[in-house]
Amino acid sequence: MIGAALYLSRRSFANSIQRRLQRLRQPKYLVGFFVGLLYFYWIFFRPGGRDRTAESILPTNALAGETIAVAGLVVIVLFTWILGSAETPFTFQLAETDFLFTAPLTRRQVLQFRLVRSQLALLVSAVFSVVLFSRGHIHASLLLRVVALWLLYSTLQLHNAGAALVRASLTQQGVIGIRRKLLSLVVLVFLLGAFWLGLRDAVPVVREAWSQGFMEGATALSGALHHGALAIALLPFFAATGPLVATSAAEFAERLPAALAVATVLYLWVMRSTLGFEEAAVEHANRVARRIDAVRRGRGEVRTRPGGVARPLLPLGATGTPAGAIMWKNVTGAMREFRPRTLFLLAVFVVVLGFSLGGKRGAGPLVGTLSLALTGIMVLFGPLALRYDLRRDLELLDVLKSWPVRARDLIAAEVLAPALLIAGVAWFGLLGAFFATLPDHGLPPLALRVPLLIAALAAVPAVVLVLLLVQNAAVLLFPAWTTIGPDRATGFEAMGQRILVFVGTAFALVIAVLPAAIVGGAFAVLVHTIGAGPGWTAAAWSVTGSAVLVFECYLGTMLLGPVLEKLEPSGLR
Amino acid sequence: MIRVAGLTKLYGELVAVDDLSFEVAPGEVLGLVGPNGAGKTTTLRSLVGIVRPTRGTIEIGGHDLEREPVAAKRQLAFMPDEPHLFEYLSVEEHLRFTARLYHVTDVERRLPALLSELELADKARALPAELSRGMRQKLVIACGLLHDPRALLFDEPLTGLDPAGIRRMKKTIVERAHSGAAILLSSHLLHLVEEICTRVLIVKKGRMVAIGTIDQILVGRPELRGKSLEDIFLSLTEGDGRGNGE
Repeated sequence: MIGAALYLSRRSFANSIQRRLQRLRQPKYLVGFFVGLLYFYWIFFRPGGRDRTAESILPTNALAGETIAVAGLVVIVLFTWILGSAETPFTFQLAETDFLFTAPLTRRQVLQFRLVRSQLALLVSAVFSVVLFSRGHIHASLLLRVVALWLLYSTLQLHNAGAALVRASLTQQGVIGIRRKLLSLVVLVFLLGAFWLGLRDAVPVVREAWSQGFMEGATALSGALHHGALAIALLPFFAATGPLVATSAAEFAERLPAALAVATVLYLWVMRSTLGFEEAAVEHANRVARRIDAVRRGRGEVRTRPGGVARPLLPLGATGTPAGAIMWKNVTGAMREFRPRTLFLLAVFVVVLGFSLGGKRGAGPLVGTLSLALTGIMVLFGPLALRYDLRRDLELLDVLKSWPVRARDLIAAEVLAPALLIAGVAWFGLLGAFFATLPDHGLPPLALRVPLLIAALAAVPAVVLVLLLVQNAAVLLFPAWTTIGPDRATGFEAMGQRILVFVGTAFALVIAVLPAAIVGGAFAVLVHTIGAGPGWTAAAWSVTGSAVLVFECYLGTMLLGPVLEKLEPSGLR
Repeated sequence: MIRVAGLTKLYGELVAVDDLSFEVAPGEVLGLVGPNGAGKTTTLRSLVGIVRPTRGTIEIGGHDLEREPVAAKRQLAFMPDEPHLFEYLSVEEHLRFTARLYHVTDVERRLPALLSELELADKARALPAELSRGMRQKLVIACGLLHDPRALLFDEPLTGLDPAGIRRMKKTIVERAHSGAAILLSSHLLHLVEEICTRVLIVKKGRMVAIGTIDQILVGRPELRGKSLEDIFLSLTEGDGRGNGE
């Protein structure tokens, strides 16, 4: 089985490289390739560029590196459990399902095959990530970091698979599912309880230390993570990230067994869960048959339920523009995948966390900070994650092109739908932060906070729109280099690619923001000279700059229209 | 209704469609036949605007597809061989969405009858993943017929349908033609083409081999008289391709 998986990986990799090279015969891909090379050179290898860059993937301060790694891992794991999907834990390609599901293999063997298959992609992702963060400073210890990150990605992949199986078991089987997953749930509750108790004890101490200075705060935070209930809850996290933050080869070797132990436990957990899932599948044959059929067709995201799908958030009127209908379609699709109740649960979680950790007096600022953090995450990562636009719809390019809609209107409608949703959630976070901190007298006066709120409310949709347009432009201009449809580039296999896309998008954002900042700045100076205070000057800057950004997006859709008109299904391959 | 002049499509050095010219009048069913790789699907995709012709012009209802794509596409419906649907929209929502795209304002009135006619009434709130292939095919057809198109393009319309569905599909095609729609039908099923098409267009390696009624085609090949369409087809496409260009 492993031999077959390795053979498939090896041949797929070789053939994909060959096809990518052949694609360079097309001028736009050749130009894109050289621009990419220049970009890499400029970022990582330009003369004099290395002196200012960090040496390793994480800060050289081991204490800070360890804390950041563990905190990052905790956030990823928590997000997986709170927002993760209960759908198939591993993404199979259509050909894989056709060949593997019909082959005389057990489900366990199929999953083992998939695990082995994903290792090459995980390794490539690890190499990409390490090179990206090392910024051209190539040295021997990078090899250890690649191995460490590879192991961490694999561990996370196993964890996510296990979490998805537990969620699937609970959502599909109810009480039976709880009984089947009792051990997993007990461990989960134990870890969460320990984490919660530890956090409650640690927060006042760390806050007190931070008020004395950065180093004191960092030391107290690191100390808190290693003591009491928090240390117990974070034990697997420290073990998993240990090799990554090791400062020497000896330390790496010392920490490796613990990381391997975590990965092994997760592997056994997934395989055990899989067995349970298979048994449950027999009990619920009809439902599972439908699920497998849906997964086999790559259509497993939207959950179905007896009596049909949930009604859309907004009804579609019989009259109106076709572009409005396209927006409605995408919003409806997105709302069916990310239900409104998720946002409500998140809000409740933030408020409960704020009151639990901050008490009555400290809850406001804590809720405000968490809301702002969520807003930031939404603005930065929302456009990458919410793909209800051309990135998904180009899969049905022949359907799109048969519609009686102008290409530029189609692009605008496709991009506006996720922009509305992301901006809506970000506004929710901004307003939440504003109202949560309303009675707090330690903050700047309301006369300053209100215009700053207006500035942020104006900037958020404009920035989101630019980020989404960049993503959609990339898929239109270089469809063969980007991921199309809901299923591709998921999991940690695509981490390197996602980092690259994120860096590229940030670069494009900077380019787009420049003219907006200049025009907005000029208007702000004007407003300031007629007597506006700093708050309203900032608001004027932001509102004007945002208007310029939106205009840039309009120009962008006009330019991309002919690109979509010329794009043919053969160009997607 | 459908007018094609000098249609040529190149993929690099490969000639997928080579200088193809034909017309489909209202009420006519033109069968497009040819061996695999003859350029049938590329022709259909060019006619609906999915693929841009390298050369040539396409007119739908008097509107040039290149210069007035929106007006031309409003009169068109394309039924591909593989039903492509949005996995997150229900059956009913697909129809409402299509109605908005094509400015069909009386969708409320037409929806129940259409769902009932296609035996999808009890699946109105189901997602595509819950439908069989035949049902998904029916939904695509329902979406295509919703705006009363004047030109219909079918690519292998019987794929995945059960016997009852096949009979209903053939009836739908004929009825639409009788009501004045121009129909272009691509299929490998020669008995279907023989049964419902008024004329036949035979293509090979992107070039037209023959066009017209069976009798018109046989004018240039009298030795094939009395033979079935299958024999005529094989004779025209497996030999030197010499036929009657009408």
